[in-house]
Order: sequence, then structure tokens, then C-alpha cells
Amino acid sequence: MSDSRGSGAVGRRSGRWPVGLLVLVLLPIILMPLGAIAVFALRGGLAGFVSALLTADAQFALRFSLLVAFATATINAVLGTFAAYVLSKHRFRGERVLGIAVNLPVAIPTVVVGTSLLLLWGPIGLLGRWLVPLGLEPMFTPFGVLLAHLFVTFPYMLGAIKPLLDELETTYEEAAYTMGATRWQTFRHVLLPALRGGLWSGTLLTFAHSLGEFGATVMVSGNLRLRTQTAPLYIFAQFEAGNLESANAVAAVLALVSFLIFFFLLRLTERRGGARSE
Amino acid sequence: MAMNGPARSRRAWIAPGVLLGALLAYALWPWLPLRGTAPPRTLIVYGYSAAAEAFQQAVLPAFERVWRRETGERLECVTAFAGSGTVTNQIIMGVPAALAIVALEPDAERLAAAGVTRPGSWRELPEQGVAFRTPIVLVVRPGNPRGIRDFADLARPGVRIVHPDPLTSGGAAWAVLAEYGAGLPAGEAAAEELLRGVWHNVAAQATSARAARTQFQNDFGDVLVTYEQDALIDIRRGRLRGEIVYPRRTVWTEPKVVIVDRGVDSRDRVAAARLAAFLWEEDTQRLLVEHGFRSVRPELNVAAALPALPDAFRVDALGGWGRAKREIVDAAWRQRVLPELGR
Repeated sequence: MSDSRGSGAVGRRSGRWPVGLLVLVLLPIILMPLGAIAVFALRGGLAGFVSALLTADAQFALRFSLLVAFATATINAVLGTFAAYVLSKHRFRGERVLGIAVNLPVAIPTVVVGTSLLLLWGPIGLLGRWLVPLGLEPMFTPFGVLLAHLFVTFPYMLGAIKPLLDELETTYEEAAYTMGATRWQTFRHVLLPALRGGLWSGTLLTFAHSLGEFGATVMVSGNLRLRTQTAPLYIFAQFEAGNLESANAVAAVLALVSFLIFFFLLRLTERRGGARSE
Repeated sequence: MAMNGPARSRRAWIAPGVLLGALLAYALWPWLPLRGTAPPRTLIVYGYSAAAEAFQQAVLPAFERVWRRETGERLECVTAFAGSGTVTNQIIMGVPAALAIVALEPDAERLAAAGVTRPGSWRELPEQGVAFRTPIVLVVRPGNPRGIRDFADLARPGVRIVHPDPLTSGGAAWAVLAEYGAGLPAGEAAAEELLRGVWHNVAAQATSARAARTQFQNDFGDVLVTYEQDALIDIRRGRLRGEIVYPRRTVWTEPKVVIVDRGVDSRDRVAAARLAAFLWEEDTQRLLVEHGFRSVRPELNVAAALPALPDAFRVDALGGWGRAKREIVDAAWRQRVLPELGR
């Protein structure tokens, strides 16, 4: 949506056929599958769609997913900003290694993330073996799901904040510093306002990813209905059980929420892009 | 960014702010302290996939009522159903199950080997831990266009079979026994030949009996190998368009009820033991028959009017699960048939 307004991009052509080709390629890969969800969700009529959504299982799964997404987004907004600040403003040995480590979750398959958490915190895991007899059992609980989501979505906040911090001239900070501002005051009044757009887009991205997380969740949740079953797990379980209507209704809602979040994300990046070139 | 006035930038956040606020309010709603009732005690039950409907809709709600009547305590049964192998692995990994219904004895043996339950503890329950049976059957498309009557017909060229995966699905392991056992009267070589012929035509493998049925229901394949009970409830509900074909010689599947010892507190263990005993009571057995299972009490099966299957066999006829697993599933199917088919 941003490209048509041409925010100062150089050498943009008006050729029609590459655009048509792109749309043609996108149709079977992205657009038509999404359309199929909408078509199937509404096939049983609006009443069927609503009643499939209103079952206790579906309601729980949606609410649980949203709560986990809110918690994940909040915690990783703080942790991710802190990580970005440390990596951007501090020079230290092992900086590169740490930089790779915090970005690792993007590259690791989510199922592997789930397995690794189980092998650490699970009842037969390295730490779990000692914790579980004490009554502390993080896996197969909502807390375990949260841990998995924090792991998987960690890099998104970092990715949104660190480039902004890298770009920001240190002179502002130094100026604030020499004027007697504390490190926190500098952060609060100099850095934070400049980061606001990145904070929002990073948080929304984290939220959206958490909402749709499947691979790690399926490993650590135990898939208990009305306890740890997130919306994606619910969709998968209902689909496997042959309840296409139930699966589709929740899938459609999830797609809609993700779409709305993405819509705001796009508007946000567009505004930032526009502001920069003005 | 300085060009966007603060008012304008603030206005841009109204829509996403409202959306996120509404989502948060919706998500938190059931957890807000508006109602005063204490949450009920929970009992966690894991089961193999095909048992899901009977347990979630009939057996467990009935048990919750019985428990409330007997103890005055509100009990809520929380469930998870998946392929029997998957469920077994989850319990071994430590999910907080108090009672498990696994599709076959080797899964119960695996639980015992992992220290989840005492070895052989399920055999101390009534009927050696078997609360219901159901035969392996074939489901064909309406009108049986391929003319499938028995397992031998599955080995004919061009028949496409939808089969669950014996590595994760209990029903699939039972189906392998049925396919082998059907050919056994003609000798072990003929039995293995039939097994090979059938597996040559397996076009899709799903992780559970349920998932295989969903594939077949989505118009994939000519024939589905599955539990009679699973096929019955779906055909009755009009979800599965097809006909059940009863092979002459098939296997009676016998799921096992396992009470979990590891990591279960004493009060949950009492409830789990009560639930286990409840499964063999007459009213519960009737509920199971209503949901397509065959009761362990022959007199209760009359009401369902299902075929008698005089030639169907139990796993005991193959020398018990220990031998069947070793010689049929592991040696014949996995080590000989699969490699020959290049899988």
C-alpha cells in the first residue's frame, strides 16, 4: 500500500506486466489459501460459524492464545529493548557471539526449541529432574507455553530496535550526559522518544508471532484442552479430528486478528519511512 | 518523525490501541474475579484418538456426576487425545496424566518401562484392563465401487489405501496384525505375502486413526483401514460418506486402561482408581456401546445389533502382544516389508 504513493524512491517504473505476474504468482501461494479459509468458515452459514466459535474449547483457546501473546509481547518488549541497548551501545568481548545468540531463535526450527525446553525444564530434563520433586513443574503448564513463546519471539523486538539505536547519533546522548542527566534520564528522555515507532512495531510483531506459534507450543504444552491448548493447537486438533467447521472458525478469527495487527504494522512503517524522507 | 505533530501521531494510535484493549479485555474476562465459585478439582485423562468422543461426551461427564454424588466434590476431567504412541510418549515425557487409555498393550508396557506405572498394573483391573473392544474394519466409498470384500482385495493392483502410521497410531499396529492374521490360516509365508501386498497399496499414512479418517473423508483413497467404532460414529453422524466392510478374519482391538502412579498425588490417585472401576460398571458399558464400542459383557452388545464376526481373533491367538509385536510388527512389517517396498 505504501509503494503507490512513492515516498521519494528512485527509478520506479510504471510497467504493468511485472505487477500482473507478481499477483499471478501470489494468488496460488498466498491469496487463494487465505480465501479458502474464509469460504470454508462461512460455508455452514453465519450461525454455524458463530456456534463453532462459541464452544468452551474454542473460547478458551482464543483467550489463552491472546493472554500468552500479550504477556510475551510485554516481557519481550522490555527484554528485547534492553538487549538492543546493550548490543548497540556497549563494546565488549564476545559481543558478536552474544549478538548471534540472541538472534538464534529465528534460525532454529520451533520444534527444536520445544524439545530443548523439555530437555531442560521437563520432568526428565536437566533442571526439571531437580525442580519437579520440589513441586515446580514449568512444562505442560501455561508458564511453559510462555517460556516457549519468549524464546521463539525474542529476536523480533531486537530487530526492530537495534537498527534505530545504531543509527541514532551518540552526540545527543553525550550532550544529555554532559548536562548531568543520569543514564536512565538519558534513556527515558532522549532515546525512548526516538524509539517509539520501533517499540510499537516490534511489540506488534512479537504479539502476532506469539499468537500463531505452533511448533514449540505443541511440544511443551501437553495439548490439554481448557488448560494449555492455544488457538493454533486447537485448530490442528480439530482438523485432525475431522471437525473442519470448528477448525476453520478459529482459523478465520486468528487470520483476521493477525491481519489487523499487520495492517497497523504496515501503516506504522509507512509513516516512519515517509517521515524519514521528508 | 519531528514532522508528524504530536497530536497527529497520537491520533494514529487510537485504532490499534482500541483493538488491543478490546482483545485484552476479551481475553481476561473469564479470569476476572466476578464470580465467587471455587474452581473444581481436575483429573487429567490422556487417551488414544478414537476414544475421544465417547469419553469427552458421555463417559467422563457421567463420571463427574457420579463423583459429585459420592463425594460431594466438584470434579472436572481435563482431557487430551492423540495417537496412542504420541500419548504414550507425552506421558513418558511427564505430562500430568492421572489415567491413560492406550490403544494397545505394548504402549502400556512402555509406560511401565519408563516407571510411569507398575509393570503389569493394568492386568489387575477387571478383564486384564480391557474395558471395551472393537474390530478393525474396512471403510469403502458408497456403493463399494472397487468391490472390496476382504483384506485380500486390498492387495489388488491400483487400490489406494488410507492407513494410519503404526509408529504413532495404535489402530495402525492393530491393523498390521489384522492384515497378517487374515492370511495366517494359509501359513506364515502367505500371511507376510498378504501384508506386503496390502502395504504396497498404502497411499497415505496419518499419525492417528482419527487423522487417517480425516484424510479419507477429504476424498483421498479408495479404502480406509480403521476401527469399527470410529467408522460407526462418523457414518451415523453423516460425517463419513462410506460403507463398512467386515473382513472375514479380522482382529479384536483391546485398548488398555492404565492408572498412572508417577507424579500423581494420593487424592488424584483415588479419583483415577474410581474412574477406572467406573468404566466396567453396567451403565458405563452401555454408554460405550452407544458410542460404537463392543462391551466386554456380551449381553449388552445385543442392543447395538452389530455383526457377530465368528472368525475374528484376539491378539492371544497370535501368541500375545509380546510375540506379535516382536515377530509381526517389528520383524515382518518394519524390517522386511517396509525395506522391500523401499520405505
